Amino acid sequence: MSEDEDPKGFEQFERFLEEWSRRDFLKKTGGAAAYMAFLAGGLEWLEACGGGSNSGGGTAKKGGHVVEGNFSDIRTLNSMLSSDTASNQVIGLMFDGLTNQKKDGTVIPALAESWKTSADGMTYTFKLRSGLKWSDGQPITADDVKFTYSLAQDDAYKAFASPRRGDLSKYIKSIDTPDPQTVVMNMTQVFAPFLASHGQYGILPKHVLGTMDATALNTADFNSAPSVTNGAFKFVRWDKGAQVTMARNDNYWAGAAYLDQWIYKVLPDSVAVTNQLKTGEIDIGPVDPGQYDNIKTTDSVTLTEFPVPSFTFYAYQLDPSKPAGPLFQDQAVRQALLYALDRQSMVNAIFFNHGVVADSVMPPTSWAHIKPQTQYPFDKNKAGSLLDGAGWAMGSDGIRAKNGMKLKFTMITNAGNKQRESCLTYMQQAWKAIGVDATPSLIQFPQLVSQIVSIRTFDMFLVGFNWSVDPDEAPLFHSRNAAPGGFNGAHFKNDQVDSLLDQALGTLDQNKRKQLYAQFQEIMAEQVPSPILVFNTGIWGVNKRVQNTDFGTFSQYQFRPWNHTVWVTDGK
Amino acid sequence: MILAKYLARRFFASVIVVLGVTLITLLLMDRTRGTYVPGIDLNPSLRPEDIARLRANLGLDRPFYIWYLTWIWGVLHGDFGRSMIDGSTVMSHILDRLPNTIELTATAILVGILISIPVGVVSALRRGSKTDHTLTVVSVAGFAVPQFWLGLMLILIFSVTLEQHGLPWLPSSGAYSAYNGGDLLDRLLHLIMPATVLSFFYVSTWSRFIRSSMLEVLSQDYIRTARAKGMSERRVVYLHGLRNALIPLITLIGLELPGLVSGGLVVEVVFGWPGIGKLAFERALQYDYTTVMGVTFFATMLVIAGNLLADLLYGVLDPRIRYG
Repeated sequence: MSEDEDPKGFEQFERFLEEWSRRDFLKKTGGAAAYMAFLAGGLEWLEACGGGSNSGGGTAKKGGHVVEGNFSDIRTLNSMLSSDTASNQVIGLMFDGLTNQKKDGTVIPALAESWKTSADGMTYTFKLRSGLKWSDGQPITADDVKFTYSLAQDDAYKAFASPRRGDLSKYIKSIDTPDPQTVVMNMTQVFAPFLASHGQYGILPKHVLGTMDATALNTADFNSAPSVTNGAFKFVRWDKGAQVTMARNDNYWAGAAYLDQWIYKVLPDSVAVTNQLKTGEIDIGPVDPGQYDNIKTTDSVTLTEFPVPSFTFYAYQLDPSKPAGPLFQDQAVRQALLYALDRQSMVNAIFFNHGVVADSVMPPTSWAHIKPQTQYPFDKNKAGSLLDGAGWAMGSDGIRAKNGMKLKFTMITNAGNKQRESCLTYMQQAWKAIGVDATPSLIQFPQLVSQIVSIRTFDMFLVGFNWSVDPDEAPLFHSRNAAPGGFNGAHFKNDQVDSLLDQALGTLDQNKRKQLYAQFQEIMAEQVPSPILVFNTGIWGVNKRVQNTDFGTFSQYQFRPWNHTVWVTDGK
Repeated sequence: MILAKYLARRFFASVIVVLGVTLITLLLMDRTRGTYVPGIDLNPSLRPEDIARLRANLGLDRPFYIWYLTWIWGVLHGDFGRSMIDGSTVMSHILDRLPNTIELTATAILVGILISIPVGVVSALRRGSKTDHTLTVVSVAGFAVPQFWLGLMLILIFSVTLEQHGLPWLPSSGAYSAYNGGDLLDRLLHLIMPATVLSFFYVSTWSRFIRSSMLEVLSQDYIRTARAKGMSERRVVYLHGLRNALIPLITLIGLELPGLVSGGLVVEVVFGWPGIGKLAFERALQYDYTTVMGVTFFATMLVIAGNLLADLLYGVLDPRIRYG
């Protein structure tokens, strides 16, 4: 992250996007249908996209390497410790979980060849493939699976710094291993996103780590240099701040990879990613929307663009005890401000047309997405009359006021993120035109985080959020997450929304969940506590010498079941 | 004996400096951190209780002075702790990157010295000439042009544009090629652009100092004496003039020692050079207390060592200087 020079600004932006995405990215079945519907929605910006497999033809041959670039270094290679995208990305190349995920969001078998959910949703039974082997030749058994999950579930490992403990220890009651190929997870309650959210953690080798206690595991050498892996590649070297080098794992269950090596290279920022895609110093990398035009004419690089489950939004301070709280209690004010924004122009000018105006609180990549009745097309007059109707009269200074209180507030976002800074600048102008005095203020990312999750003295904040396959949005909108530490920093509290979100989490039937989330979206569209501005897209650049990559909505940084099938035409 | 006493006094002063610098660094981080937990950030899947647990694991639930005392205690035992971001030891981070930073900074300093001395001398000897004016303009430019801008321009021209035209080009980031890299030629190619940017800055600064220092020395009585007794101009300039003119440069270069840690920060960041400056920069923004404190400690020690070394070198270069 960054100082104010341009290149670092980009890095901060990228890192921020990443932080939101994290491991949470990819989950749950059912994305396929909604995804296809979305594509068929006639959205021009998606034409010729749809997530792209780079398969130009020719026969796959063994040998060669791929260099993948990104802008943060990894933090750990222990799948139960990691919570950042870079680490998860590299872990995904070396460790498979019970399940994996396709780019449409479908959960597919990985180390587990099949699984069964009991009728009451209280038991998951996973059947491992036969003949699974670690890279050192030892068999992979149910014990390894149990060991991995117990790191974040068993009280004996409480001192182990896993960020997964909250969920896993709450929902998993016990883990049984009736035979070396069967794992039975008994739940404490029905939790619909379980399979999609918690099925893919890379399985760790009990024969290497099993003898260590929780504290020793926190600092085990394995975390930075895993001696044994079970994925398409094995670990060779981590040059801190520079790169991670991996080599083919001949014991991989899906067949040994074509490539000799896969290298993860750390770059300064997104401009460097684009530059190095051009020069061929890297073969694969994510492309910033602002860099798209810069690289689209490069012959050696194929660009793939697709919708991603993330959006940019702003949130009103709804806590009446805060200074700005009283401003936004009235729904009409919240609606008026949204009507006053020409979001299509924002998409064009700020996001370089890589994105679409949001029509709901649920990203269209989700199977649960609907287009609610209440929509907010740009309408300045309507915005003005809504404010008039709500008693906010225009003052002589051009700022509206009600009962001596001016419609005046500050908007915060993280400094260095060009897109977000531009959004605030635009909002300032657009709202000024209807008599609202909004001042942008840029703060550092850690301070923004503090503001959102705990301090909460903001009037309005603007950030992005990345979702997973599962449509649950409780972290942002359930009132229990308005407690300090939760992400409902805007203090949105609505009993009906709470009950819909809770019901949906405890329901396994996807059709029923879909109905519940439809109601949820209708309420959110009317109430607009945190208006969504834009649904974002993901863009990846791949050098043409690299074949068989298959990036898509739910297969970006992680969850690439196609890793081992990638090959290079020049064999180098 | 006098020297030993001098060193002892310097040592005690240094301890106070180290304590002061590290304490202020920690205070600045602690006061601006808010409730941010390093390495955790905003992750919707994390529960408040997870965040609280991880915060406690890192010792951030305790007041900063307790944290500081714990840290000092560790340092006194040679333990700099583990990074709050990735759990690796701070020492391993520093040692992993130190060779890269030394490679870059040492090259830049060496190139800087080799170029700035002749440039400074020529400017001084031909004061007011066209050559002098041209060199002055270049120096001022080198001083005024931001390193990150120059770095980006070099990348744009010598990596991207040359490559696009099918010409030989220079690698744009890192200290060696990702694949099969690391041999001497490969490292040299990666070194060219960052070392150029960094030494450009050194050359601009140092050549100005040498120029003015040289002018001052050349107007001294002893130079006139040397000339009067019939010594050749060459001997006057290089034996009597340059040696005395170099004394201030020693201070400057001595002060660049901490640059081994931080001097190349901007250059390291722009060129993705896996060095200590980049480490400190990134970790400061992530509030990785332990790593930042480790690097700060290390940098402070180098500043102290650099100053001391410069002081001692004075004695070698100028016999009139005594310690006491």
